Amino acid sequence: MSQELQRILYNLTSLADLGHEVTSEKEFHDRIKSVLYVVMGTFLTNKGAILICEKGSGEFAPVAQKGFAGTDYRKLRTGADIIRTLPKNRPTLFNEKELNTAFAPFPANAASVLTPLWVTDQFIGVFVIGDKFSQEPYTENDLALVSIIATQLAVTLNNYGLFTRLSDQIEENRKLFEDMRRIYHETIQAFAAAIDAKDAYTKNHSHRVAKYSVAIARELGWTEHDLEGIYVAGYLHDVGKLIVSRDVLNKKEILNDKDLRELRSHSILSYTIISKIKFPWRDVLHMIKHHHERVDGRGYPENVPADALSEGVKILTIADSFDAMTSDRPYRNRLSMEETLNELKNCANSQFDGRIVAAFCRVLEKEVRGELPEPNILPHLDQDFDPSVITEMLAAITEELSK
Amino acid sequence: MTPKNFRVSSKEIGDTAVIYPQGYLNNVTGESLVQECTEHIEKGTKKIVISFSKTELINSIGISMLLSIIEKLLNTGGELCFTDMSKMLKDTFEMLGLTQYITSFDTEAEALNYLKAVSHP
Repeated sequence: MSQELQRILYNLTSLADLGHEVTSEKEFHDRIKSVLYVVMGTFLTNKGAILICEKGSGEFAPVAQKGFAGTDYRKLRTGADIIRTLPKNRPTLFNEKELNTAFAPFPANAASVLTPLWVTDQFIGVFVIGDKFSQEPYTENDLALVSIIATQLAVTLNNYGLFTRLSDQIEENRKLFEDMRRIYHETIQAFAAAIDAKDAYTKNHSHRVAKYSVAIARELGWTEHDLEGIYVAGYLHDVGKLIVSRDVLNKKEILNDKDLRELRSHSILSYTIISKIKFPWRDVLHMIKHHHERVDGRGYPENVPADALSEGVKILTIADSFDAMTSDRPYRNRLSMEETLNELKNCANSQFDGRIVAAFCRVLEKEVRGELPEPNILPHLDQDFDPSVITEMLAAITEELSK
Repeated sequence: MTPKNFRVSSKEIGDTAVIYPQGYLNNVTGESLVQECTEHIEKGTKKIVISFSKTELINSIGISMLLSIIEKLLNTGGELCFTDMSKMLKDTFEMLGLTQYITSFDTEAEALNYLKAVSHP
């Protein structure tokens, strides 16, 4: 085979190598470095650089370079106007035109061929290669090959630019979403603080109910998205108490029928207030409206039977009652942990769903045993109980309700 | 060892470093060959033998690596020998004109014999 034919075959193989490298799954800078090595190995030069022109600043930044040590690529900016007038994706030889400004950053005679990279009307950057190691001149065939390579390179760099801009946009949107989400949660918490401010005995009640509900729902395998929904429902479930009179909320005596009616209106009032909000989570309004329903159908406001109550509302009901029992109220002091657990057990399958009580007991047992890295219930309790007694009680209730 | 797992080892015989690339010299992992040679050159070694007995394939990326080694060694006035090349490698190096910068031998022993007689200041 003649050397000329061998050379053509080698160039064709190099083009195949180039295609392989630009479409590889390597990290972008590794891909471009490989492309530069393909070019340098094809034309037998030890110098080469691929630079992108940054949009806005117009500065040139090297994406890959070799053999141009100490070159100040920023100086290319002064020659950018000349570079832009050169034929698109066509190589220009240093000695071909008066291009001193364009070639200014490179050491004398180091850069032999400069190719402006374009994709349609987008100026992408510059591709520069040095003199051949043999000092032989670049031939017409060499320059035709450079042009093919430059076209492919320009598309690769442009795609990367588009991808990077898209990634930046996604990141910006993500930050915006996080900011909105934070404001959303802070607003909800401000609402809850307003409720708590009205009723001194229920300070932080909404916060605790939200945390307890999340703990139970997580034990039951809820997704992170749904956990956020029940967290919000926990915060807002008592918002209707803003309309209930302070006297009723803080009354130490047994409530009369009128007081009881007013107090019990709070779940419908919460629902009425919150129903204007379109939540991205399922069941929030249902959970708020029915958090005083019972699985035996004797709750309020609508005496809804168990099968019409969602798992979320059954969770919220237990979280709400557990916090009520473990907090001081105007008419009684808080119950001990043992009394509270007995109450939960006794009311399982009448007031509360037995399966959810069991889930609550399981998660509380894990927290008491220190098995959960971030406990949600225990930090809010006065821990004046014997952990071994409580864990035994919890295990027994779980076992009994699991039968 | 698969061809993709390019590795390089070397040994010193007298004032000569013998380098053994193993695997395909066709991607940027070939930089380890340049690195290995550079370390010997920076230690003052002026005679290097590269044995291609375990390198069947070289592409344009590999050629750019070899060119880099040639330039570094020639700049120090050193001498580079290639040995154990397949016919395809030999033809490629000849066609590209690399053989004007290196001396090729069939075996490592022949290259070492030749370099024994070469003296460098």
